[in-house]
Amino acid sequence: MSKISQNDIEALIELFDRSDWRELRVTGDGIDLFVSKDPNARRSIERTSEVSAGVASSPVPVGPTPVVQPAAPAATRTRPPHWVAIRAPCLGTFYNAPKPGAPPFVSIGQPVSRETEVCLVEVMKLFTTVRAGVIGTIRELLVADSELVEFDQPLFYVEPDA
Amino acid sequence: MSSLMPDPYAQVRVLIANRGELAVRIARVARALGMESVLAASAADRDSLAAQEADRVVVIGSAQARESYLNAPRIMHAAIGTHCTALHPGYGFLSEQPTLVDMCAQNGITFVGPTAEAMRRVGDKLSARALARSVSVPMTSGSEEIASTEHALEIASQIGYPVITKASAGGGGRGMVVAGSPAELSISFEKASAAAREAFGDGTLYLERFVERARHIEVQLVGDGEGRVVHFGERDCSLQRRYQKMIEEAPAAILPEPARAQLHQAAVSLLAGIRYRNAGTVEFLYDEPTQQFFFMEVNARLQVEHPVSELVTGVDLVRTQLLLATGRGALPAQAAVRMNGHAIEARIIAEDPNRDFLPSPGRVTRWRPPDGDGIRLDTAVTEGTLIPPYYDSMIAKLIVHGHTRSDAIDRLAGALARFEIEGVATNLRLLKFIVDHPDYRSNRVDTRWLERTLLPAFRAQ
Repeated sequence: MSKISQNDIEALIELFDRSDWRELRVTGDGIDLFVSKDPNARRSIERTSEVSAGVASSPVPVGPTPVVQPAAPAATRTRPPHWVAIRAPCLGTFYNAPKPGAPPFVSIGQPVSRETEVCLVEVMKLFTTVRAGVIGTIRELLVADSELVEFDQPLFYVEPDA
Repeated sequence: MSSLMPDPYAQVRVLIANRGELAVRIARVARALGMESVLAASAADRDSLAAQEADRVVVIGSAQARESYLNAPRIMHAAIGTHCTALHPGYGFLSEQPTLVDMCAQNGITFVGPTAEAMRRVGDKLSARALARSVSVPMTSGSEEIASTEHALEIASQIGYPVITKASAGGGGRGMVVAGSPAELSISFEKASAAAREAFGDGTLYLERFVERARHIEVQLVGDGEGRVVHFGERDCSLQRRYQKMIEEAPAAILPEPARAQLHQAAVSLLAGIRYRNAGTVEFLYDEPTQQFFFMEVNARLQVEHPVSELVTGVDLVRTQLLLATGRGALPAQAAVRMNGHAIEARIIAEDPNRDFLPSPGRVTRWRPPDGDGIRLDTAVTEGTLIPPYYDSMIAKLIVHGHTRSDAIDRLAGALARFEIEGVATNLRLLKFIVDHPDYRSNRVDTRWLERTLLPAFRAQ
């Protein structure tokens, strides 16, 4: 696979500039490009790096260049098969905390029981509490706060207790 | 917020709140118009042809329709979350739910269809009858709401037998029972009311004089919301099994010209009276011997069988819907709508006619549709498609166009003969049997002919 060149990136940014797209994200071998017309969009990228920090510090063996690689793809490649996904019960908006500004329901490394509340999914102002459904430790957060999630989309990965 | 003036220069992104062949169609038409599309799909349809045709897919819920295609809040949330500017409801599912129209209005999303008010006016059958009466559209003698069997017997003696019970809240055959005598009516009334309550959550019935050997003829209309309504001719949908249409054609060849003109006029005046917006259909029963027609109901949406009207008028109704709703196109003048030739649609359903039309979901292992001049296939099926068991069993609409009815029938017969489907049982053989039947060829059919004459003959062969 050929590497993405500086020219390609410039062309992509130019294309993005001319388009009415709100965001553009390109990930691949050795690249994680995120461009947005929304000044607040930076937050979600920062959150992604928080996630990467969490994953990198996990005791699980990771890919060949875990620190330089963008977090999410690396995690995908190396996730142990026995980790369990907590999935969205339906389409909606994902909230990681009970209200804006409150501490999140769960964070990486936190032990959970089946009944532990892990997030809210909101559909037209109706909030559904999502519970872990498994006993173990939160290992990955896959979705940023206020993001639209689809039915069955993995939201967290939990390493179940043996 | 009540009257949204669409900006004709803004990018349109339309949420498709439907599935199957119509979702494919909407996605393709949207693309041709430079609009973007987002499909709100169930988990069972995440890899469907419609999902491939749309610019984006969001999976809104599990396969069951109430978790997905019938779940208005999730559909609305999907539309808002993906920044859609318009929503096309298709047919079936939530297409005739005024609450979805209200939710669109509250969220600044253009609903591709009538107003909630119009939907409510015509959606309740009794209120629709009152509307038809107010513009002097003929109808069978009928009743208002009926409360009890005793009340029904009293009304029926005034109307005269045979009578038919109908549900006030909906159609599709639920709550409909024909009674030829007081004895039959006393047996069937409670049962019909229970069936209506089960289907629509409302057991209210009314009675109508039953027209025997009637034709089902309906008029395709589109309104601009300002009081101008244009018709796109009529369709004859008399070939039905349990009130489910199986073959539809345009025009209705048995109609004499004066009756045809009157029918169109009645339908136009009915919808013009409520300043109807977007596509809709007015259904009538037609009594051939007396050349009388009677108002039946209004369907405030696009119908399954709309392609036959498209083939004879050359007008793409889905395109017209999207253009009108988004303020990018005007309604054509009535004089510009010309009828040309004859079109027939055959619904291919994954049901086994040899096993009492048992639905037959499963994997389509062989799919070789016919093609050629004057043949159109609207479908979401390709070879290898899994027909899920959760939804309507219609898998394709085979539509043909010819100069005359007889040309069109020949073309349909040839197309059906070449159609190869394996993996799921279908009604293909039954459709071939219908188009070869002398009664069908000579157009001597009515809404009960399929069940009364054809099916016994089909089973006996």
